[in-house]
Amino acid sequence: MRMQSGNKKHIGIYGKGGIGKSSTASNVAAACAETGSTVMLIGCDPKSDTSITLLRGRRIPTILDLMRLGKDIKEEDVVFEGYAGVKCVEVGGPEPGIGCAGRGIIVAIQVLRKVTDAMNTSDLVIYDVPGDIVCGGFAVPIRKGLVDEAYILTSGEYMPLYAANNICKGLNKLGAPLGGVICNSREATNEEAITRRFAEGLGSKLIAFIPKVKIVQDCERAGLSVIEGCPRSKIAEIYRELANDIMGNWESKIPEPLDDEELRAILLQYE
Amino acid sequence: MSTRSDVNDENSGEGIMHPRPSSIVAALYTLRDLETDVVIIHGPPGCCFKHSRLLEEDGIRVVTTAMDEANFVFGGREVLKNVMMRSIELFHPKLLGVVGTCASMIIGEDIHQAVEEVRPHCPVIEVEIHAGHHDNTYGAIVTLEAAVEAGVLDAAECARQKRLLLEATELEKFAGVASREYIAPSRGDVKYSVATELIILIKEGKRGIIVLNAKKETAYQFADIVAALVEVSQDVGMGRPITMANLDVGVGLPRLRNHARNILDDLEKSGIRIDHLTGGLDEYPITGQVAGKLIREYYSDYDFVVLLGVPHAVPMKSLEGIKIFSVTNGPRQVLPLKELGHDFVVVEIDLHPKTLGVEHIVPSELGNTLRALNRGS
Repeated sequence: MRMQSGNKKHIGIYGKGGIGKSSTASNVAAACAETGSTVMLIGCDPKSDTSITLLRGRRIPTILDLMRLGKDIKEEDVVFEGYAGVKCVEVGGPEPGIGCAGRGIIVAIQVLRKVTDAMNTSDLVIYDVPGDIVCGGFAVPIRKGLVDEAYILTSGEYMPLYAANNICKGLNKLGAPLGGVICNSREATNEEAITRRFAEGLGSKLIAFIPKVKIVQDCERAGLSVIEGCPRSKIAEIYRELANDIMGNWESKIPEPLDDEELRAILLQYE
Repeated sequence: MSTRSDVNDENSGEGIMHPRPSSIVAALYTLRDLETDVVIIHGPPGCCFKHSRLLEEDGIRVVTTAMDEANFVFGGREVLKNVMMRSIELFHPKLLGVVGTCASMIIGEDIHQAVEEVRPHCPVIEVEIHAGHHDNTYGAIVTLEAAVEAGVLDAAECARQKRLLLEATELEKFAGVASREYIAPSRGDVKYSVATELIILIKEGKRGIIVLNAKKETAYQFADIVAALVEVSQDVGMGRPITMANLDVGVGLPRLRNHARNILDDLEKSGIRIDHLTGGLDEYPITGQVAGKLIREYYSDYDFVVLLGVPHAVPMKSLEGIKIFSVTNGPRQVLPLKELGHDFVVVEIDLHPKTLGVEHIVPSELGNTLRALNRGS
């Protein structure tokens, strides 16, 4: 059951590794919280750095770290307030190449649901899920009805688009609606047109085009979101618009993934 | 490494539905046969619990790393290393086995790395196995190959056993538990009726053949039925049945040769001699054919045959015109045997646990029923 209670939003951000999911998630969270909404940001990446820019560069204990220590976990041990009151959570996970990060997400989400009600009470809950949906564990936020809609981050380059399309195969299989495609620009040729065509091909829409600007990296280095670190910048305004669009977006659809040829055709069309 | 792929068919859910022996358990029993002193199961605390306990009855130490949720997520190498070191301290093994499970194998646990880091003083058989194989014999094959790699089994013996295991697999597919989509367990025919029928035949002076074709240590109990039938025949005074048994003391691993020797000694003490040795205790998939050939050549005009252990290994075409009595320890073996055309099928329930950790023939229900009925009549 997917519960769309009132105007609350539970979203998952997906996309190829390194494409900017965490930056986007934390900036959207900050922008939304600034307007007075209650926001929760749940980082599902074993790297545990989704919320770091909302916490002035501080690393918080992860759910799985505490579980590993055999601690009796309480809400205050794992839910930390960051910029503008955003509730930040990091799932954590194993070192690369060891154990099972997918199982980690499954277990951590179970723990989180037990210790806090914030997922139900927040106006916006964002799950930042790593990489492609590589195994069952990474699909848990969608399968358990925690995420009402997914947003896919991509650039106009072939590999991120290919990964995005793969994620849509997963969403389609899981019957999960796609809220839209967000282009995080890498300054590829005809990038906006390509990503828009791609989104439309999926039966969705391009909900934002985020230009590549140095301010984002500079703020990250300082342990800040651009909303906090450079509030008057143009890019901060773009994130605010995106947050606003997400909160007002009620047109999600289960995506229809493209086949490889269709995907290549979109890229070639704009050469 | 195994050259045989067990992942050749996609499991569409249209195969066999009844639960059946697991590859991990097959690995455990194979390690026991190789006289491993301590086996470490790298997996959750309850994995293979029942068989581990049975194996401990058989003199081998079985311990578990007791993986928990945190080990699934973060890996369990440290836990495995600790259990390995502690086991060495406690049990001073001369040969150690480490066996994978579904949990440790799915998360990609590196058993070899853990062994390298602990550097035990004794050889270690590292068995990378989980239970997701359609044929449980795969677990035995992987273990044999790992034993060769550890330098504790010679390649020729490994090859011989692999051939037998492949024969066993085919046998189960042909007329065993792997022969049908679902087989309901059954207790078979009532032992009282079957024993009565056998005693009538013996008293009528009908000529019988007894074929012991048992899998490894299960022979300790099936042999009791051989003894009972011979005793009854001698008591009735109508001539002795022909006996065949896979109790050759000259083949297989030392442990199995000992079992064969123990059973032959016990039979001899009761004045029972086996007329034809068909092969060794691990050769049950092929010794049934040897028995069948002997029957066709020398005893085709006999009246009844009693097949003990793995009855479906004796080809039906060698038993034409002979009344067939079968005794199995598998409740799911009853239906396939009846469908093959065996006239009576008896189940010695829970036979296997009773044959672990023993050195002498173990009384059987059918054997005791035969003796009691004979005394009463």
